[in-house]
Amino acid sequence: MTKYNMQAAQEPKMESRSGEPEVRKVQPSKGSSVLVNPRQTGNPVLKCIRNVPWEFADIIPDYVMGRTTCVLFLSLRYHQLHPDYIHVRLKELGRQYELRILLLQVDIKDPHHYVKELAKIAILVDCTLMLAWSPEEAGRYLETYKAFESKPPDMIMERTDNNYMAQLTDCLTSIKKVSKTDAQTLLSTFGSLEKIVKTSKDDLSLCPGVGPQKAQRLYDMFHEPFLKANKQKTETGSR
Amino acid sequence: MTKELALLEYERHIFSQLLEENGLVVMARGLGIDRIFTSFLQLYCTDPGMLVLVLNTTSQDEEYFQGKLELADITPLPRSVTSGISIEERRKMYTEGGTFFITSRILVVDMLTEKIPIDLVTGILVYRAHKVVESCQEAFILRLYREKNKTGFIKAFTDASESFTHGFAQAERVLKTLFVRNLYLWPRFQADVLDFLEKENRKPDVVELHVSMTTEMKAVQMALLDIIAACIRELRTANTQLDVDEVTVENAIGRSFDSVIKWQLEPVWHQLGEKTKNLVADIKHLRKILCSLTTYDCVTFYNTVNALRNNERAFGQNAGWLFLDSAESLFVHSRRRLYRSVAPNAKKKKTTRATATEEAKAGEHDADTVLVVDMEQPAKWTALSDILKEIDGENKMADTGAQELGEVLVCTEDDVIAEQLREYLENGAQSVLTRLYNSTIAAKQGKPPLSLGDQKNGGKYKGKSSSKAKAKNTHNPILPDILDDTEEIQSSVSGDDKKEQENASCYYKILSSPIVIIHPLHGNSDPYSLSRVLHQVEPRFVVLYDIDLAFIRQLEVYKAARPNMALRVYFMMYADSTDEQRYLTMLRKEKEAFEFLIREKASMVIPEEYDGKSSNNPILERGVKSANQTVSTRKGGASQQPVESDVRQKILVDMREFRSELPSLLHRRDIDIVPLTIEVGDYILTPEVCVERKSVSDLIGSLNNGRLYNQCLAMSRHYKRPVLLIEFDQNKPFSLQFQGKSSTMSNDIQSSDTLSKLTLLTLHFPLLRILWCASPYATAEIFGELKVDKEQPDEAAAKAITVASCEFSLPGMDRFNHNTQDFVMKLPGVSSKNYRQLLSKVRDLAELVSLTEERLGEILDNKAFGKQLYEFIHKEKEESKTKGKSSFHSRRWRR
Repeated sequence: MTKYNMQAAQEPKMESRSGEPEVRKVQPSKGSSVLVNPRQTGNPVLKCIRNVPWEFADIIPDYVMGRTTCVLFLSLRYHQLHPDYIHVRLKELGRQYELRILLLQVDIKDPHHYVKELAKIAILVDCTLMLAWSPEEAGRYLETYKAFESKPPDMIMERTDNNYMAQLTDCLTSIKKVSKTDAQTLLSTFGSLEKIVKTSKDDLSLCPGVGPQKAQRLYDMFHEPFLKANKQKTETGSR
Repeated sequence: MTKELALLEYERHIFSQLLEENGLVVMARGLGIDRIFTSFLQLYCTDPGMLVLVLNTTSQDEEYFQGKLELADITPLPRSVTSGISIEERRKMYTEGGTFFITSRILVVDMLTEKIPIDLVTGILVYRAHKVVESCQEAFILRLYREKNKTGFIKAFTDASESFTHGFAQAERVLKTLFVRNLYLWPRFQADVLDFLEKENRKPDVVELHVSMTTEMKAVQMALLDIIAACIRELRTANTQLDVDEVTVENAIGRSFDSVIKWQLEPVWHQLGEKTKNLVADIKHLRKILCSLTTYDCVTFYNTVNALRNNERAFGQNAGWLFLDSAESLFVHSRRRLYRSVAPNAKKKKTTRATATEEAKAGEHDADTVLVVDMEQPAKWTALSDILKEIDGENKMADTGAQELGEVLVCTEDDVIAEQLREYLENGAQSVLTRLYNSTIAAKQGKPPLSLGDQKNGGKYKGKSSSKAKAKNTHNPILPDILDDTEEIQSSVSGDDKKEQENASCYYKILSSPIVIIHPLHGNSDPYSLSRVLHQVEPRFVVLYDIDLAFIRQLEVYKAARPNMALRVYFMMYADSTDEQRYLTMLRKEKEAFEFLIREKASMVIPEEYDGKSSNNPILERGVKSANQTVSTRKGGASQQPVESDVRQKILVDMREFRSELPSLLHRRDIDIVPLTIEVGDYILTPEVCVERKSVSDLIGSLNNGRLYNQCLAMSRHYKRPVLLIEFDQNKPFSLQFQGKSSTMSNDIQSSDTLSKLTLLTLHFPLLRILWCASPYATAEIFGELKVDKEQPDEAAAKAITVASCEFSLPGMDRFNHNTQDFVMKLPGVSSKNYRQLLSKVRDLAELVSLTEERLGEILDNKAFGKQLYEFIHKEKEESKTKGKSSFHSRRWRR
């Protein structure tokens, strides 16, 4: 770690060496690799980027994931020693890129004060703050940002997993007191959702783990009208 | 009837103690905390000039207390305030005064919006006070109350002594949140209680019956304990941070295990591996099976065990313990309780009567034997019959004296067993077992149903229950009615009267002589129904078919209040069973908890200002800057003060958020809280900033089910700066991943990972800001700072963003039934866009499953969705169909 800190402390020097900000426009981001600012040399996070290729390039942020996404990396331990560093970097970055990530590696004992301050700064300069607690985790974020660069949001949208069992369990367990095991037992006993719904109360209660009360609850659920009865609107459906 | 409410000697002591000074009473379970509470209710509701609020009661509690007071002719009764009552009506009720059971969420809102004259409140009673720390609403209420009202009383009640042993200085924290200084402890071993209850004519006559288990049962129990022990070993090695002292086999068989595990693992649940989660689930399940060994009959037990294995096969979750030798032994022995191997020549005799000794013999001729169904009759059944015979005999002897026969109350673990016992007493053991066998095992495996042969035809029990016995399912306390029509014979148990069955929460069985009532101890929708029955029937004999600590205490108190009445209690227990062990553990735990509390109380230092009555109380002050807050000297000292005095800081908070601690903390930071129903976001800080708060488990859940995506979408549409707040538990590591030697990080990117999903979320919402807060305190602080120099949010604007707003969009006010809506929303093909059509066009689930694919497509306006839904409903689980035939595959599980 100390080695890395020394490395980090040298950074301003490196920047002055290769400080030609205009070059960035030329830098194409078509490639499939993460572009890494040379000043990240020696950062252990680089060792953790294994699933996507990366290469050094002359860029303003620390990492560039693609046309729209860039990452500034900050270790809290470094921030503790050089509180102004991040401000300089953020100012330098300005409003380029659509999504600017401030990836914070939490590597000090009592990070709360710093995290709070940085969160505030992130909101002010329109950065998205991400927290990682180890170089591995930070590396994983970098990998994932690259790998998911053009992934559609299906994965985090409603109804994404198509596992029949999981869905059915999810449905049945939304009924009070019905556990996962009960849901499985019901399905293995009756075969399909249709049959479970059409089963009589007595047969339901014979299922192991399902007593008369749970059976009652299930039965009620299956036969409770969708529309509230007490409402004056008595549309009983088109059928 | 007022004798119902008359207090016993020590109870009067408790009452006067608490009446004199505010405090928290912790009583032993079942010792009658409800009696004390009722007395207080009685005291306050009879005085019209008082405004007393009762917190933390469930609707059942309310019904119970109201019922009790009604019996004692108390008027006016305390009223319940729920969301069904409009604001205007509530305001009127408050000004009129009286005693109110009030839903916390409503009270918070009313206090914040000043609908209730806080300074005029006479006092607050808190039931289940141990929950006050976790549930922040009550704590917030008490704070708001003490802030404006220095004179009113606060009296708190609880009977959960165990809950005070968790965590650091829990008792002190509870007292602090309650703003009381006195802790009154009333364990069962308290001298006054002991003296009183142990007096000669106050003690019930107790008969303990130790029923011995059959060899098979013992073997099954042994096997189960082995498996549980193995699972616990696994669990411990997998999770080094687990407190070893707490997680033991002894604890695992008790009820408290769930809470122990929850306490220890829940905050780090998201960091645990799949294996650990499975293990915990397995242990819980095994525990249930262990319980059912002693409570249920052999057929039900076998089915339970079998279901476990079938599920495992059908769903392919591999639990390691299934490969243990003990697991094999579990299956073999639970099966042996059903079948007996007989030499072929003896086969003709078929079943006569089940005896345990025969099973042992059967082992000798192993080679050429045939399995014959011979079900083991639960030993407790026989014992119960013996007891009833004995009681009957005694009743007959005493018949001449008392015109009234002594009733018998039989208490069972749950309603399943209650129902079975009823059937047993009516038709005999073989009938019950045969029916169970026929309807489950035989039906499944396609074997011919058994008939009772020379006995009676028990297979069709419905037709024959009309003989001399009479049974009736009924709901709550209309017992007198039942007693009245004992003469009339009602033949069918599975009555067509649906209304009655709907809320059948207890099962009565009435034999002509003596009158026997069977009632479950647990699993009742109304926890008070047992004590209601006890007080209405006033049985002379109580048979505890299964044991419950609280009920035993209740019996003691009940008897002590009636020194002139004879009461005999039969304890039924399997000797050397986990049943017994569980009871003893429970006793010990409670005792230890009280001892702990007594020590704690002795060493507790409670400053005077805890009661919050003095005017300048530091705990109650708002907007105090904590000492470590950085006041930027560079800006020139008094920079912030003038801004704050100009405009009151204000944050709009969604109603649902009052369940968390944050609103209370914000309030304490001198920010005004405006409770609103807002559809988008949880907190509106400024006209631009809208915050959605997620605890870590919420975050994971809502990332998985897509809710967070929708919420973020809505926020980004309506607000310039949408913020996702990830709030960690302050007592737990501030980290998403488990940090340690056995890091859960996999080698390649997995899309199921929370990390990946969060990444994807930020990629799709580049404007979304994320706040990572280690605790609600940190959140409150950062909220305060984000608001500095910013405009105040506008209520009307925030409200306008809601989709369909009524005054309260509490779940109950919707057009659709909440439960079914939840269910339907989870079906594939149904989304937040089309569920309304579906719900209004279809009557209920039963109709939904019988619709055709085309019709579904029509309703959902989309063929693909219709198909998806149709297939989901009608899909058959292949394994489940074939599985029935495969019988006993024990070899497969051998290593």
